[in-house]
Amino acid sequence: MGIATAATPTELLKSYEAQSGKASPARGEQFFNSKHGKEWSCASCHENPPNHDTKHIVTGKVIKPLAPSANPARFSDDAKVEKWFKRNCNDVLGRECTAQEKADVLSWLMTVK
Amino acid sequence: MHCPRKSRRAVLAYDGEIDPMKLNQLIVVLGTFLVASPSFGANMSMPVNAPASYEAECASCHMAYPPGLLSAKSWENVMANLGKHFGTDASVDPKTQTEITQWLMKNAATRQKYSELAPENRITKTSWFIRKHDEVRADVWKRAGVKSAANCGACHTDAVKGNFSENNIKIPAK
Repeated sequence: MGIATAATPTELLKSYEAQSGKASPARGEQFFNSKHGKEWSCASCHENPPNHDTKHIVTGKVIKPLAPSANPARFSDDAKVEKWFKRNCNDVLGRECTAQEKADVLSWLMTVK
Repeated sequence: MHCPRKSRRAVLAYDGEIDPMKLNQLIVVLGTFLVASPSFGANMSMPVNAPASYEAECASCHMAYPPGLLSAKSWENVMANLGKHFGTDASVDPKTQTEITQWLMKNAATRQKYSELAPENRITKTSWFIRKHDEVRADVWKRAGVKSAANCGACHTDAVKGNFSENNIKIPAK
């Protein structure tokens, strides 16, 4: 895991786009709400829209809002972002997410009010 | 059964004179004993020296379980397999893994009652957990306000402070 560095959602989005192609918020929203061959979608724990406290689907633990508009701490530390993409993509897709998938989801999350 | 009266008087009264220093010491000793005694075992308070990584890495998805709820060997087993952690990927970097593992093992259950090897490494499968919850009906565990036996705080209102006393229980109605 890399060393924690401060970042902004816009910077992270640019870096994911640089590794893939232009982000599509619409594709990101669809990705977020869909199951990908496993039991859960992103929305299983984060709900849609993810702009409020939600509960972990298994443990009931409160999860703070994922959208940066509702929780400025989100997408502000690239090591943390990478860690959670790795964990949660494994849970939802059974593999790591591609840079394009990350770009799409993040670009949509940045539009959530 | 035949001696207490006389001997108690001997200890407490000391021929009618109580040395205040001795009494203070006695109170401290008794207090320590009571706090640590089994009848007060519902208090599993979180050690004050928990590394920040414990909250950040573990308590994002479930409450920060006091290490005293599992044996050292069970914690070691849990921490050795975080990539497949009860159905989710909870992996952490190696440095953090070592830090959390060492702290959990150092503060793990020591009393025999709590220190069994937990089946499937689950707190909820230990015999003491099952015995303590044997009056909870199956449908109660499934209520939306409970969701899972892993959600201690659903009923144990002070669980985050490590207080599992029967006086601090409120079971969600639905």
